[in-house]
Amino acid sequence: MSHCTLCSCFAVAEEAGSSFFGFGQSAEIDVVLDGQDTRKTAEIKTEDGKKERHYLYFDGETVSGQVNITLKRPGTKLEHQGIKIEFIGQIELYYDRGNHHEFTSLVKELARPGDLTQNACYDFEFVQVEKPYESYTGANVRLRYFLRVTVVRRLTDVIKEKDIIVHTLSQYPEMNNSIKMEVGIEDCLHIEFEYNKSKYHLKDVIVGKIYFLLVRIKIKHMEIQIIKRETTGTGPNTFNENETIAKYEIMDGAPVRGESIPIRLFLSGYELTPTMRDINKKFSVRYYLNLVLVDEEERRYFKQQEITVFRKADKFRKPIQNATAMFKRNSPQQPQCLASCQTAMAQEDSDTSQNKSPLHDPE
Amino acid sequence: MMSPQEEQEKLMEEALGVVKTQSLQMKRCLDKGKLMDGLKHASNMLSELRTSLLSPKCYYELYMAISDEMRHLELYLVDEFQKGRRVADLYELVQYAGNIVPRLYLLITVGVVYIKSNELSRKDILKDLVEMCRGVQHPLRGLFLRNYLLQCTKNVLPDVVQEVASETDTGTVQDSIDFILLNFAEMNKLWVRMQHQGHTRDREKREQERRELRILVGTNLVRLSQLECIDIELYKKSVLAEILEQVVSCRDAIAQEYLMECIIQVFPDEYHLQTLSNFLRACADLHPDVNVKNIIIALIDRLAMFANKEEGTGIPSDIQLFDIFSQQIAQVIQSRQDMPPEDIVSLQVALVNLALKCYKDRTDYVDKVLETTEDIFNGLNLDHLESSSAVSRELMKLMKIPIDSYNDMITVLKLEHFGPLFEYFDFSARKLMSQYIINNCVENETKIPTQEQVDAILSLVSVLVQDQSDQPDEEEDAEDFAEEQGLMGRFIHLMYADDADQQYLVLNTARKHFGNGGNRRLRHTLPPVVFAAYKLAFRFKEIKDEDDKWEKKCQKIFQFCHQTITALIKAEMAELPLRLYLLGAVAAGQIGFENYETVAYEFLSQAFSLYEEEISDSKSQLAAISLIIGTLERMVCFTEENHEPLRTQCALAASKLLKKPDQSRGVSICAHLFWSGQLKDAEKGDSSEIRDGKRVMECLKKSLRIANQCMDASVQVQLFVEILNHYLYFYEKGNPEITVQVLNQVIDKIREDLPNLEATEETEQINKHFMNTLEHLRLRQDSPEAEGPSYEGLRL
Repeated sequence: MSHCTLCSCFAVAEEAGSSFFGFGQSAEIDVVLDGQDTRKTAEIKTEDGKKERHYLYFDGETVSGQVNITLKRPGTKLEHQGIKIEFIGQIELYYDRGNHHEFTSLVKELARPGDLTQNACYDFEFVQVEKPYESYTGANVRLRYFLRVTVVRRLTDVIKEKDIIVHTLSQYPEMNNSIKMEVGIEDCLHIEFEYNKSKYHLKDVIVGKIYFLLVRIKIKHMEIQIIKRETTGTGPNTFNENETIAKYEIMDGAPVRGESIPIRLFLSGYELTPTMRDINKKFSVRYYLNLVLVDEEERRYFKQQEITVFRKADKFRKPIQNATAMFKRNSPQQPQCLASCQTAMAQEDSDTSQNKSPLHDPE
Repeated sequence: MMSPQEEQEKLMEEALGVVKTQSLQMKRCLDKGKLMDGLKHASNMLSELRTSLLSPKCYYELYMAISDEMRHLELYLVDEFQKGRRVADLYELVQYAGNIVPRLYLLITVGVVYIKSNELSRKDILKDLVEMCRGVQHPLRGLFLRNYLLQCTKNVLPDVVQEVASETDTGTVQDSIDFILLNFAEMNKLWVRMQHQGHTRDREKREQERRELRILVGTNLVRLSQLECIDIELYKKSVLAEILEQVVSCRDAIAQEYLMECIIQVFPDEYHLQTLSNFLRACADLHPDVNVKNIIIALIDRLAMFANKEEGTGIPSDIQLFDIFSQQIAQVIQSRQDMPPEDIVSLQVALVNLALKCYKDRTDYVDKVLETTEDIFNGLNLDHLESSSAVSRELMKLMKIPIDSYNDMITVLKLEHFGPLFEYFDFSARKLMSQYIINNCVENETKIPTQEQVDAILSLVSVLVQDQSDQPDEEEDAEDFAEEQGLMGRFIHLMYADDADQQYLVLNTARKHFGNGGNRRLRHTLPPVVFAAYKLAFRFKEIKDEDDKWEKKCQKIFQFCHQTITALIKAEMAELPLRLYLLGAVAAGQIGFENYETVAYEFLSQAFSLYEEEISDSKSQLAAISLIIGTLERMVCFTEENHEPLRTQCALAASKLLKKPDQSRGVSICAHLFWSGQLKDAEKGDSSEIRDGKRVMECLKKSLRIANQCMDASVQVQLFVEILNHYLYFYEKGNPEITVQVLNQVIDKIREDLPNLEATEETEQINKHFMNTLEHLRLRQDSPEAEGPSYEGLRL
């Protein structure tokens, strides 16, 4: 039985309508997950930016529970063509609403076709379900897992969906080298930067330092940005969406040769997801550390370095609430600066077609 | 257009406005327990410190206002942790602030609360804070941020030698030292960096601003000095060495100058004493623009004061303070080839001060400094320093120090290199110094008791004694010159030996020096020598029982005086030598040594020759002859053989005066010679008055006659009154030649002439004189003395 998703959406609306007209029997479906009292929940953004909280599952965990069907008019029977529950993992690309890509779809039949004369209750269990990806809501794409209960009827099905959230946990990587690099613009600026790791977990701290080998420009300040790049589509239809997750000033004023500036950036206050590479050939989410130096003429010099973000299975820790929002700056004139910088840099570095980074790497 | 100042004021007003509202909101939130919102407002407030527009002064004001408000936050947080809040979370939380300046201020504030809540974290947090502050590289903002760090951590720095065994992270004083030294090094770098920012034309302003900020850097050293566990060893090894390394390597004159002074001021003297060489060696390595002299002088002054402290222990005997300074200063001078000579001398000044204050008895130290100075001048080929030049002024300062501190030129003369240094001065400086020396002697009544010393001191001040090869052409101010030479006159009386023979040699030496003084000076300097010599003769008379050769010696003294007076005559003086001769005659007469009559006669006759040959002005003549007559009248040593020609000569001279009134007066004075002049009886050895009444009468008559010849009626009457007085004197003395009749004649004559005079002030005076005379007579008439003459028949 293949159900068109469009119909199911329609069906939800229908269900509401039918009760409104007071026409025929209708039912309410409620999904109760096992161990709900003890199960952790997690938050996720919806498309419109609001936050929702759902139960949290990990890969390979069994998803089980009960489906309760409550008849709206007790005593009147509800005729149906069968009741089923599905476990679905799907990727939604916003620009292609019609096509949801289900990478997981499991079905359990709860009842054969027949009549419901009273409230019913069905147990279900999807044993050790594979949940390969992390739930995600981005700018152009959304990856979600949900349970769908369908009471199949002749005209309009009664449908209930229940979202769950999946977190993918990674082992602490065996190899986790620091990122260390000497970059510069000849006779102008030479720095060496070092981030203590290349892979950070979501509650990690980036520790590092910038060492100034040569300074011939008047630097005004330096900041570290965390940039999230969401890539959707393939080939010519690739979309990149960059979002600056964090802007963190690490230096004020002009250093001289030999200065070493410390970096310490706590990640847990920012809304990060694990790095996702080529998820089901549909999208990727990558993170970059962008080191930006701004001189007194507002020219910007920057160097991006990809880092891997992963979710570590750790003991529960109360997240720092909203810390970034609290200190958010109110100077949104940055894109303009970037543009002017890139033209300025073009003169200094002719090889910009390949490498957008103005701080070229002297090896 | 606003002026820069108005602009600053406006900016300040805005900034302080924000601080006021934000701090108010912060406090409100804290009161309600809304810590997060409170922190947000604190951050907003602190963001005002991100400005680049304020001058250092205004920035300081803003900083003070904000750090005041931050104290509320700190208090609140301390309170919170006492209630059980986890400060570690807060320490992370505040680090989400996007801007570094407010972030670090918050971090410091929370960090200190963290330390207070849990001392175990102290060491690490201090280290973390001071490291994280590196993120602010803007000099002004960095300096204030680090100053805030220093202020906030003031009371939480570990100050124990060893950690308590169970608590391994509380840190030791070494951790505090590392913390402060790192902060100090960073602040100093920022401070020095200010110098190299902005336009060169603003340099002065920039340096001014830097000076205003220096206290921020210096506070680090103050903080170090407040750590009680820093003992001398630790100071030497960990503290001073590091500070000096930083100071020397920053190669910035303003910083070096200030910090070196700062070291001197904040650390205890005992430590300085133990680290002198280290400190002074660093001085040699400072930037050429640094005024090393001031630094060393400041140190010396401190130590000298320390040495003289009453309750103190003084300089430990194992520290050769003087030698160390002496060597290191030499090193500094050598390493700075372009050091101006005046600064070199200033250093020597400091060294002398040190020697005098710490080693009072070691004149050799002082001498050594003078020697070094001389060597340096030699090396620099300096000569005849312009008195207006700085080096000359410094050298003067240097040389005045031993004078002032010993207050005894005899001690100063013992300094071998004092005299030679004198030669480096030009004329006017030598003069000033010489006057200074002589004044010092006069004020302290320093006696110069040997001829060698007299020789030495007069050679030293020869600029006051004789003309110099570099004497300027223009005449100096007569009044100043007289004052200067008058000073020398006073000084001569300090040349005094307790032994009379010695005194003779002293005077001889002085005489030799002053003899070269030229006519201008002789008149001032030789008379005191002559007076001193006469005095010496009297001393010999006093000790005649102990010295059987005293008479010969007196004779020699009078010869010496004679010679000296002759030198004055040769210097074209007359009245002065005349008086000195007369004095000599009196002295000789009084002392009464062998041949004294001859000597006295010689002196008087010399006076006569001077009178006759050299004095031509009639007024002077009258004065001179009056003096000669007066002197002769007092003399008791002449026999008739010598007295007769002298008194005759006086009478003759008096009658030969040019002007009639002078003649009249001279002759009337002469009358006394014939009355109270004394003759010695060669055989009996005693003397008696002449009392030749006839000759007295003759003189007075002659005087009257001459007065009669005067054309000026008023002068004539005046003379009559004077002569009347003479008559009266002798009448009272019992001269039989003078009768009431004679007196009546004179009185009548005056009475007759007096009313004819014009009524002038002069007439008034004459009248008064006459009336007083009559009044006297009337009194005599009314109550005659028993043995006195009778005034009967006197027409009053």
